[in-house]
Amino acid sequence: MPDHTSNGMQCNEFDVVLSDALDGILTGTALDRFQAHARSCKACGPLLAEAEAGRNWLKDLTEVEPPASLVNNILASTTGVDTQRLRVTAPVRQPKVSWLEYVQALFLEPLWATVRQPRFAMSFGMAFFALSVGLTVAGVKPADLKEISLRPTAIRHTYFATQARVIRYVDNVRAVYEVQAAIRGVKRNLTPAEPGQKQKNRKNDTSQQPEQKQERNYSQSGEQLILASTPLGPSLRDLPVVTVTTYRRFV
Amino acid sequence: MEDVQVVAMLVRRCIAGDAAAWEEIVQTYNRRIYNICYRFAGSADDAQDLTQDVFIKMYRTLSSYDSSKGAFVTWVTTITRNLLVDHFRKTKQDRMTDSMDSNASDHEDVQPLSEQIPDQKPTPDAHVRSREVSETVHQALGKLSPELREAVILRDLQDMDYREIATVLRVPEGTVKSRINRGRAELARLLQRTYRQVM
Repeated sequence: MPDHTSNGMQCNEFDVVLSDALDGILTGTALDRFQAHARSCKACGPLLAEAEAGRNWLKDLTEVEPPASLVNNILASTTGVDTQRLRVTAPVRQPKVSWLEYVQALFLEPLWATVRQPRFAMSFGMAFFALSVGLTVAGVKPADLKEISLRPTAIRHTYFATQARVIRYVDNVRAVYEVQAAIRGVKRNLTPAEPGQKQKNRKNDTSQQPEQKQERNYSQSGEQLILASTPLGPSLRDLPVVTVTTYRRFV
Repeated sequence: MEDVQVVAMLVRRCIAGDAAAWEEIVQTYNRRIYNICYRFAGSADDAQDLTQDVFIKMYRTLSSYDSSKGAFVTWVTTITRNLLVDHFRKTKQDRMTDSMDSNASDHEDVQPLSEQIPDQKPTPDAHVRSREVSETVHQALGKLSPELREAVILRDLQDMDYREIATVLRVPEGTVKSRINRGRAELARLLQRTYRQVM
């Protein structure tokens, strides 16, 4: 606020008595000086008008009513006492909660709140998509599920029927392999032996048996036979070759 | 306002563990504290939480009240004001992006401020109109700086005298008067600007 004098009153003095003037406790000469300053000062005149307007606006604000449960909550959070008299003055009744709602509130709602998070929702969406694609590829139709009977006898019947189907399938596959093996044997007998056949056969060998090959292994385990001799010659060329033979045991 | 002797007795009974005395204090002051909190914080939910916090703090520090140093209501208001300032500092970041239109109240329908301004036609229901004006003023009050807001609330809404306000705010009486004047003027300017925009 500019600090200049107008009609015998400074602006900062005007600011001090402004509240008193609005409260109506400014009287006499002080009030006259105040009003004269307000009329003549370009800064203080509008300030008076605005302060008065602001005070009038604030008169429109009535008291708000606190919530009925407030006192009860305060007492519960301070003394932990919920008195009978308070329940009469603030009748906020807790609705009766069934066990289902209790379980829902205790477990399902927190779980659902977690599931609703975008990252989890995305994961569940992808899992559902993968499952539905898998079922479609496997030929499972949701319409078929309606025809499934859940009676114990029906379930037992389904179990034995499935078991018989699996056994039949295995028997059939075994028969096919036996026939294939027999045909291969007949072909082998009819074809004349060729040089290098052994090598070739080895390549085509599907018996899953590893090849018997000699490896040089310099690691010393307890079962390895090491044939070695100490260097006796004067030069390195005369050094004997150390031969390590590994005997692998195939079980 | 308050009978000093009665309040002092209530406080003594409270400290001695009389639950009924505490209940009486809560019944007497909850409305006042709730209103201060509501006008300062701006939302009913915050006001309810803050009022509970004030009473919890009162309950814990009741033994520190000294009736010779001031009225009980001044002590209660000081606790309230300190908690409100703490709350204001904690939630400062949340309010950075608030605009006047987006500041919704819990006591009224959520509407932008521009829609809450009464039009020039006479409103059929005067009560509704009065409520709308109150809501507009409440929102404008929330736009004042906390120093001006608390001074205006204590003076114009809680009818405290300048000396009590000075005690609560821990500033000289002259500063209190100056803040009240500036707060009222700022409020009027805000409301004038708002009305001018929609007319």
